[in-house]
Amino acid sequence: MTDWTLCIDFGTAYSKAAAAPASAWRQFEPRTVRPLLIGGEGAPGNAFLLDSAVFVDDERILFGAAAIARANELADRKRTALRSFKTLLSVSDLDRALNANAPAAIDPHRLFQMRDLIVLYLAYLLESVERAAAADTLISSGAIARRYAAPAWRDRDSAGMHHAIQRLFGEADNFRAAVGKKLLAPEGLALAAVSTALPKAIEGARPLEMGLVFEATAAAAYSSVGLNSGAAHLVVVDMGAGTTDIAALARQGDQTVELEGARLTLKQAGDFIDRVIANRVLSSASWVKGTEQQSELWAVLMRQMNDIKETIFAEGRASLRHQGRAISLTLKDVERDSDFRAFLKELTAAYDHALSVVRDSAGARGEVQAIAVGGGAAAPFIKALIASKRSKLRVTPRPATPDWAHAGEFQGNLAPVFPQLAIAIGGALAPDAMLAARAGTTPPAIGQTDIPAGRD
Amino acid sequence: MSVAKKKSAPRRPAKGAKKRPGPALNDALAEAAWAEADAAFAAALAEFDALSGAKGAARAAAMDIMAQKLSQAARRRGLSRIGVVGAEEAFDPTRHDLDAGVSKLPEKVRIEARGVARGDNILVKPRVAPVRKPRQ
Repeated sequence: MTDWTLCIDFGTAYSKAAAAPASAWRQFEPRTVRPLLIGGEGAPGNAFLLDSAVFVDDERILFGAAAIARANELADRKRTALRSFKTLLSVSDLDRALNANAPAAIDPHRLFQMRDLIVLYLAYLLESVERAAAADTLISSGAIARRYAAPAWRDRDSAGMHHAIQRLFGEADNFRAAVGKKLLAPEGLALAAVSTALPKAIEGARPLEMGLVFEATAAAAYSSVGLNSGAAHLVVVDMGAGTTDIAALARQGDQTVELEGARLTLKQAGDFIDRVIANRVLSSASWVKGTEQQSELWAVLMRQMNDIKETIFAEGRASLRHQGRAISLTLKDVERDSDFRAFLKELTAAYDHALSVVRDSAGARGEVQAIAVGGGAAAPFIKALIASKRSKLRVTPRPATPDWAHAGEFQGNLAPVFPQLAIAIGGALAPDAMLAARAGTTPPAIGQTDIPAGRD
Repeated sequence: MSVAKKKSAPRRPAKGAKKRPGPALNDALAEAAWAEADAAFAAALAEFDALSGAKGAARAAAMDIMAQKLSQAARRRGLSRIGVVGAEEAFDPTRHDLDAGVSKLPEKVRIEARGVARGDNILVKPRVAPVRKPRQ
């Protein structure tokens, strides 16, 4: 019997974690949701986020913000931190990816395989989560069941993938037990100590008991928790950095299953929109001439792209300064781009396809809802898509930030940061029946499909 | 910029308030949102200097960027604008700030400046002026 459910979301740039009472689905009270301060209490910036990064230095291994800071210091020596754990864990041939040697830019000593560095990061993440849970007086007094959120794996055996990830977590937990709190020291760990402890930790490891919740299901959970009558079907449009995924979920009794035929993955997503915006700005800035000046402006744009994109999405136009001149770009400029128009056409077709699968599955019975998640949830064209009438089905758009996140007890403080924490929170709220795999031996609900994996 | 820290506040909630987020979590959430908003506020302040010394197109650009940065900071704190400038609505004293000396409350008003809200909580009401009925 557990008192709390804790979900870890290891994102491309940041990892997050949240906990909710095990009874939250049946008796939902917004105030019981506990995002965890995995960045450490009193840490500068947003302490709910943990930088997903490992850096192999000359004699030490650094984690999180320290890893990124050190990598930036050494950027001119072509040294980088390992960051894209999520991408790595989503590839179709996981064993091969894990057994590959880390590139010289990441590990100049040529000591580590990618598996080793992922285990080290997961150990750091687990230690950060445990520290945060222990510091939370409500959570620390109860028994905790743990889960992780992941994108749906689509072109290989999901049960095998889940087992492989549990195994990595198990190795990480062993290493964490061996090294202890030193993992969280800003100066990181001595390379020699890691070289000694890591092989032993990996050798004696058993898979860590964790549940698995697919990200689309987590979105369904935070969107529909506490509602008297949840929709029979939910279409999820998830635009991340690298891919845009469309998925459809159906409620069958107390279970939520994904309609396999509905899922489509587009290779254009946030990064693609960034490039469209940057190219439009470059073509409008006629005073920027030559490759060198254009490269310089491109770099400026990419550094500010999150701000630019957020402003264009929210206000329809954005301005920035470069070399004493102001440059403006409107959403209409972006929408005029031929590559963007082609993407929008594909996105619309993918959404219509998901609706058609829902229609066939639903037999036109029950309510259908749609929700946008990920970085693209704020994009006007995605909001318009899920709000538009596109089939004979009546589709109700759900807000990206649920109403309960505005509850008075949060004093307006949860809603602004909710989008970043959404998947961890939804994963903690989801009842066991919605999981792809429960802790232990339950196999993931989604089996093989012929849709290639590939997301951020 | 940082919100008021209550590091000395007791971590253990009072009896009967066991499941509330508590000041510590709310403070941490607020601080996280402020951290996201700080950079935008800083950029707006920097632009303010450019605005005060500029003229013509340069002034318009500085004004544009400053407004953009302030809006960005506000969004990251969960603030949203309410109303549409120029829109005409039935007057509601609980939702409108009437910017005119009138002997009789108007039936209809025009929004002259948008208001600001956080969720359902209106922080600043939209500023409105009476819509005068056209003379017959």
